[in-house]
Amino acid sequence: MMLVINDKNLEVFIEKLKEKFDFFDIRNDKLPFKKYFFPPVQEIFTRNPLSKSKTSDLKTAKTPAKFVLFGLNLPQLEALTQLDEIMQKPNEDFFYFQNRKQSIVIGLIDVEIDAMPGGDIIFQKIGEGKYKVWAENAKSKQIIKENKVFFEEIEDEEIESARSFELSEGAEWSKTMRELLADSENLANAVAWSHGHKIWDELAEKCLGCGICTYVCPLCHCFSIEDRVGLDDKCSRCRKWDSCVLPSFSRIAGGHSFRPTIKERYYNWFYHKFVRAYREFGKSQCVGCGACKKNCPAGIDIQEILKTILEDYKKVMSDV
Amino acid sequence: MDNIYLPQKVKITKIDEQSSTVKLFRFSPIEPSAFKKNDNDLVFNPGQFVLVGEIGYGEAPFGPLSSPYEAEYMEIAVRKAGAVTNYLHSLKNGDEITMRGPYGNGFPLDFIQGKDMVMITGGCGIPPIAALVEYVIKNREKFGRIYVLYGARTPDEILLKEKIEEWKNFGIKSIITIDKPAPGWTGPVGFVSDLVKEIEIDEANAVATMCGPGPMMDALEKILRPLGISDRRIFVSMERKMQCGVGKCQHCVTGDKYVCMDGPVFYYDEIEKNHD
Repeated sequence: MMLVINDKNLEVFIEKLKEKFDFFDIRNDKLPFKKYFFPPVQEIFTRNPLSKSKTSDLKTAKTPAKFVLFGLNLPQLEALTQLDEIMQKPNEDFFYFQNRKQSIVIGLIDVEIDAMPGGDIIFQKIGEGKYKVWAENAKSKQIIKENKVFFEEIEDEEIESARSFELSEGAEWSKTMRELLADSENLANAVAWSHGHKIWDELAEKCLGCGICTYVCPLCHCFSIEDRVGLDDKCSRCRKWDSCVLPSFSRIAGGHSFRPTIKERYYNWFYHKFVRAYREFGKSQCVGCGACKKNCPAGIDIQEILKTILEDYKKVMSDV
Repeated sequence: MDNIYLPQKVKITKIDEQSSTVKLFRFSPIEPSAFKKNDNDLVFNPGQFVLVGEIGYGEAPFGPLSSPYEAEYMEIAVRKAGAVTNYLHSLKNGDEITMRGPYGNGFPLDFIQGKDMVMITGGCGIPPIAALVEYVIKNREKFGRIYVLYGARTPDEILLKEKIEEWKNFGIKSIITIDKPAPGWTGPVGFVSDLVKEIEIDEANAVATMCGPGPMMDALEKILRPLGISDRRIFVSMERKMQCGVGKCQHCVTGDKYVCMDGPVFYYDEIEKNHD
């Protein structure tokens, strides 16, 4: 048996959720969904310097109300699972999980899956106006139970032939990218080998060092901590998105930078995504969503870079 | 859920001007009244760092220089260089600041026991070395011959002069050099090969520990290599931009290592071949 919902009921169900929770439909967001858990700027601590009680004036950011994040596609659901893992190790990131634990994440996908790649509820399109419902944890089962009038149980066989959808924009690119990512060990070896490859010189000419690729990436999670003394009676500490391709990223007091050139910084971005991530977590920190390619003002396509490196790496390895 | 970013409040109990730009700060915990001890029965492992600062001004990493057995207070040396350190320099006795940590690994206390040790440091890199000396003094019978080679830019910039004087009583030989000749200075200039003659160690049973800026590489080539200490026995404390201190923000990475978690102390041969 499987649980299904039709599109009319799905609309009503969404309305019900909106009544109960803060609701964010991420499908038209320019910035990736990570911003709901790891905001571009978050005031994490404040204190009142004029307060008389010296030891107890430190305030920590408040926990938000429960909220629904709606509309994550397959790469985004996978990215969420991976980001949870990243934020878990080696110590739980307090502010990320403070937000994350308040969320109900709903995926909306049009491809076949064998198991839930992430999120709490997934609506998988299985035909015209019809969705298969995936919900495995207690939180999501409870929500479905409360709204059971919108769902119906049907036999598994009934949907077999009802599947035909158009590929969304960028789907081919994603498909190829995901094929490359499937062998993340090979990618790690190739990118580690490529240090010194001429492609990094070429990219250094092309890359504007703007950091957009890292901001739109659902998995990039560099941040800086910035403090501010306000003109009012508030001092604050903010956590802000940072980008490893920006010149200030590894600059220390006194002005020395450990990666002074774009070439070094851009390689470091790749090295983290494909080499260090593999060595730390056993997979690349990329889900093939294509956001970096789509938003790069210089038109850099990371898939082309990887293909070039992989090809040259293969040649070198076969010569050995 | 523990908040890994939440600092603890500490109170400044002593400020001592070390040079025109460096002040030594002693601070004590407010609640509870002593710092927690680790598995080694120390409040920090020499070479570990703490993040000290204040909400509104920021945090910066410092290697404590006080004895790691001292639970009532820690001491750091602060060179005026940026927002946080300028703020710290404006404070007076009794003022409250914040602290997180200790973080990182520290020098390998088990490995160095029973050995001769050459410690090389320069400029503001002396605090972790000073803490290590304090550790050695407390466990003096477990160590062989100990040398501290310390390079300062000018005589005025030599830090912890009194401590270095005291260390003599415990058979710790310090050699201080300055970068350029200066009036009245009779000691050595630079980490020069000549210094090798003043160091007597059993190279098969010796280690080196290092912390400090650029001239350290000179020391490596001109002193440690000629002394015959292998790269596997040289422990270097690395400097990188540090923000979160807990392996999240990505600022401090070098190759596959996080300086804040895997370091700051590394085997020299572990980091030598890193691309960055």
